Amino acid sequence: MADQLATEIIDKIKEHAEPGDEEITASTELTALGIHSLELTEIIFDLEEQYGIEIEMNTVDAWSNLKNVGDMIEAVRALIAQKN
Amino acid sequence: MRKRIVITGMGGLCGLGTNASAIWNEMRAGRSAIGPVSNPALHNTKIASGCEIKTLPDHGVERKQLVAMDRFSLLAVIAAREAARHAGLSVDETNSRRIGSIVGVGVCGWEVIEENYRAILLEGKSRAGIFSVPKAMPGAPAGHVSMSLGLRGPVFGVTSACSSSNHAIASAADQIRLGRADVMLAGGTDAPMVWGILKGWEALRVLSSDTCRPFSADRQGLVLGEGAGMVVLESYDHAVARGADILAEVAGAGFSGDASDIVAPTIEGPESAMRACLADAGLNPEEIDYLNAHGTGTKANDQIETAAIKRVFGDHAHKLSISSTKSMHAHCLGASGALELIACVMAIREGVVPPTANYREADPDCDLDVTPNTARERKVRAAVSNAFAFGGTNAVLALKAV
Repeated sequence: MADQLATEIIDKIKEHAEPGDEEITASTELTALGIHSLELTEIIFDLEEQYGIEIEMNTVDAWSNLKNVGDMIEAVRALIAQKN
Repeated sequence: MRKRIVITGMGGLCGLGTNASAIWNEMRAGRSAIGPVSNPALHNTKIASGCEIKTLPDHGVERKQLVAMDRFSLLAVIAAREAARHAGLSVDETNSRRIGSIVGVGVCGWEVIEENYRAILLEGKSRAGIFSVPKAMPGAPAGHVSMSLGLRGPVFGVTSACSSSNHAIASAADQIRLGRADVMLAGGTDAPMVWGILKGWEALRVLSSDTCRPFSADRQGLVLGEGAGMVVLESYDHAVARGADILAEVAGAGFSGDASDIVAPTIEGPESAMRACLADAGLNPEEIDYLNAHGTGTKANDQIETAAIKRVFGDHAHKLSISSTKSMHAHCLGASGALELIACVMAIREGVVPPTANYREADPDCDLDVTPNTARERKVRAAVSNAFAFGGTNAVLALKAV
């Protein structure tokens, strides 16, 4: 089920996660990642640059709507689709 | 009668060592940790010498907190954890709101500033790191100490350049006296071994081209170092009630402002801070056995400090043991006073005055007993620690044996 976009995003998250933790999948809750919420926001900003998209949100709003890694992937996917 | 404030734990790290007892052992042995510096954040700076912490101790700070910390915050947290352990302090739901932290900072978290300028201006990156603001702010170390130890009492940063630690420690003692807290973690931190900061100091032309030789006629200036020092303060009664080991008493503090020049020191400012400190402590000049000098190793400071000490102590100035431990740990800016407090506490406890290292030639303008190169055994009933600063913000602490 992990398509290329999902794999890329999960890889990016892994760079920031504690090594040796459980495997990260689309259903992993963002709060369970052991990653500072601001750092997760920064991952989204990196994705913006990488995919030439613009995510209009501030850091507070960013997390109220995203619960797990899958939500993050789908949010980015929708924005890429919008752009095309 | 006002509350007596005592020290029940100490922690510290600097070029001399990564815990308070390692630092003291080096100080007592008169070994200087000043030498060539190699930190990658220095880039192409041609700096003759400095005093770095080559390897940090195992600190166990979790990654999630670590990513949000600049180096000065991490140093403060390591020192604070050591001090809390040393004091046997346990923080829980019942007491956390009565324990706080005040951390003195002379500069700020500059590593992140440096990284951002380089990334944006040199590497063409489009934005600053997301932790830039919380990493750089001078209140960050106090916040991180509070997060790290679960302290929910008064928590804030204090800044007054090179006297930040002493202002922080005195201010923490005040929180306890005013009834705002029962226990305070206080001290100072700075991690200035960064390109932009060193270029600034270089421009002032006050850095030594070899090492730091306070009070020596051939002294050439100061040497910068990094570090942090933290102590646990509590009221005497609180310490006794919980059966804590009391290391020394914070007998008093004295502050003053030069109101003169942003960099050039005066004799009157330091003099009045020392006088205010003795008066606050209720100590006569003759009761002080050791004075840890500000002793930066610049021509002006050491000469002016000597003159100020003579005015305050009169004849006793020549009987007093003086030393500048900056000759060994360098000038760690906001952390200096806290590291020098370790010297004062241990001098009282062990009856050993740590020396002024790297001393070579007598200077007629600095003719007091500066304990050159070798530690001296003598009973230390009370000690005074001087801290003066750019801005003319002077802060002096007095400690005594309990």
